[in-house]
Amino acid sequence: MEGDNQEQISPSQGFWAESWKHYRRNPVGIIALSFVVFLTTVAIFAPAIAGTKPVVCYYKNQLYMPCLGYFNRSLESPIFTKDKFRGTYPKNLQEKDPNSWAVWPIIFQDPYRRVRENEWPGRPANPSRDQGHPNLYNLFGTDQYGVDIFAKMVHGTTIALLVGFVSMGIAGSVGIFIGAIGGYFGGWVDSLTSRLTEVVLCIPTLVLILAIIAVVEKPTIWKTMAIIGATGWTGIARLTRAEFLRLKQTEFVMAARASGAGPIRIMFAHILPNALAPVLVPITFGIASAILVEGALSFLGFGPPPPTASWGSVLNSARSNLQLWWLVVFPGLGIFLTVLSYNLVGEAIQDATDPRLREAKK
Amino acid sequence: MANYLLRRILLGVVTLTVITFIVYGLARSMPGNPLTVQLGESDPSRKLNAEDQQRMLEIYGLDKPWPVGYMQWIGKVVRGDLGRSITRKQPVTELIGERIGPTVIISGTALLLTWLLAIPLGLYASARGGCVDERVTGLVLYALYSFPTFVAALFLQIIFAVWLRDTPWELPLFGMSDLPSDAPLLLRIKDVAWHAVLPVVCQTYVVLAYNSRFIKSNLEEVIRQDYIRTARAKGAGPYRVLIIHAFRNTLIPLVTLLGLSLPALVGGSVIIEQIFTWPGMGRLFFESIRERDYPTIMGLTFMFSLLTLLGQLLADILYGFVDPRVRME
Repeated sequence: MEGDNQEQISPSQGFWAESWKHYRRNPVGIIALSFVVFLTTVAIFAPAIAGTKPVVCYYKNQLYMPCLGYFNRSLESPIFTKDKFRGTYPKNLQEKDPNSWAVWPIIFQDPYRRVRENEWPGRPANPSRDQGHPNLYNLFGTDQYGVDIFAKMVHGTTIALLVGFVSMGIAGSVGIFIGAIGGYFGGWVDSLTSRLTEVVLCIPTLVLILAIIAVVEKPTIWKTMAIIGATGWTGIARLTRAEFLRLKQTEFVMAARASGAGPIRIMFAHILPNALAPVLVPITFGIASAILVEGALSFLGFGPPPPTASWGSVLNSARSNLQLWWLVVFPGLGIFLTVLSYNLVGEAIQDATDPRLREAKK
Repeated sequence: MANYLLRRILLGVVTLTVITFIVYGLARSMPGNPLTVQLGESDPSRKLNAEDQQRMLEIYGLDKPWPVGYMQWIGKVVRGDLGRSITRKQPVTELIGERIGPTVIISGTALLLTWLLAIPLGLYASARGGCVDERVTGLVLYALYSFPTFVAALFLQIIFAVWLRDTPWELPLFGMSDLPSDAPLLLRIKDVAWHAVLPVVCQTYVVLAYNSRFIKSNLEEVIRQDYIRTARAKGAGPYRVLIIHAFRNTLIPLVTLLGLSLPALVGGSVIIEQIFTWPGMGRLFFESIRERDYPTIMGLTFMFSLLTLLGQLLADILYGFVDPRVRME
């Protein structure tokens, strides 16, 4: 490549800037990353994209954001409960305060219930049972109870991404910690952590998760995330351990030790930043697999309880209604594309941060 | 070597004990017990009264705290007895014997298919590395690898059991066989094979995508070695170089992979067997967790962990065979 000569002459950039330069040259990686950014945007703005609660409304001389109620019930102002809105805003706002105005979500549909007739002036009720083909009002169709699939998909994005991040946040912290102390201290600490990793690795993941879910009474989406995280750290721990084993022999660690740094400081301030790039790769793959596992759990009926709109639970409802193809196609593609893009991002990070692979590609 | 083996086996026994201990503790901590879960669900009026329940629990040895129960269980395992299933009133070994056949039909076929297809695919991918057709197949395989099996299974069910209904392409939706057990053997084999098509496809494609990528990346590593350049320089053709010189040296990681796929061969897939209601080990596992059938859960966990550990050991030993540089220490 032409740019290579200049690269060597120009002053050396930081590791991450250099990696980003390589990442940018990878079109597949960029497409995948853009898709992840797109999904994140959808996840954050889900209530503004599809919902039946106004994004912003002016009611009785005050501004409210009832749409936040989709994230957490308590964020929806109690005034609407007091004024007996019962979740239907368009008519109530007009009737109870003629001066009110509201900014509505782009698609007026609810992920948790069926939209009734004339709830939005002039619009028919959502079709239910096997009549819910994708149509003008229900872009992705409706399920057997008449709940809009598009709204479910949009709100499910929030859950899917949360599952990915939270469970990998847990798995990453546990994995890095266990791998780090095993690799750094060696000896009996290492045998202990290695054995622990092996034990968790040997128990079939799904069985372990199913058993823990059964033990945890009243499963919620947060508990599911914690369980996926608590069982998914083995790969990260092994890799971190290998990196620490390699790095603790290097001069800069010896220099740090000579200047009097304690083990915790050496491990997390000196070694970890240098071991982070290889560890980032299994974390990215882990996000993909966490989303997959949550989908599988919801699909098997072990996911969070019904009012949660996760992609897997839509698939689960399709199992007994196979002729409703739209219940399979849209959430199926959603899970697939999300998992695929996280995997591709992981792959691209690997290519961009591993100098050996980088040389090979030239 | 003997020393190495002995140490590995001892470590394995320790690991196995810890695993079973954890799973036993988890299983016994699940709310409910085999008696309440089973009877209460089917018919509330048949719920046992407290006295009867206590009596039954005593019969099954479930009245004591779980660490004691675990000691009893492991005591029996050492004597070669996996116990009796509580909900199915059958020895666990017999239950496993019944379920292992159907699972191997699926996973064995899938394993064979993956290896038969993955090796040529991997060779093809590295022979045509960088060409357009290779990039497209690579991306397709990568997409397949990210495609969740449960979604694929639903898609296949919709296509072959709903859309293609009443055509020659129709495939059965679930189950293993529609024929009575006294039907002629050949017909029954054909029927089971017919039912097995979709589950086998589902179980094959993910592993196929993974394995062919694995073979390709290993080949790419080898191809950069000096002796490959030497082989090319002395005039060996591209295919000869790839198959005779390069591929043989990628066998080492492949052998490891083969060893690690041993537990999946017998353990089956919970999800696939659950979707296609295939009466195999994965489904038995799922059902036994739901029924709180502790002896079956433990029997399956024990067998599965044992196979995982054996597979790792086997992979390491085979590693030494195919690569004489590796010494067992």
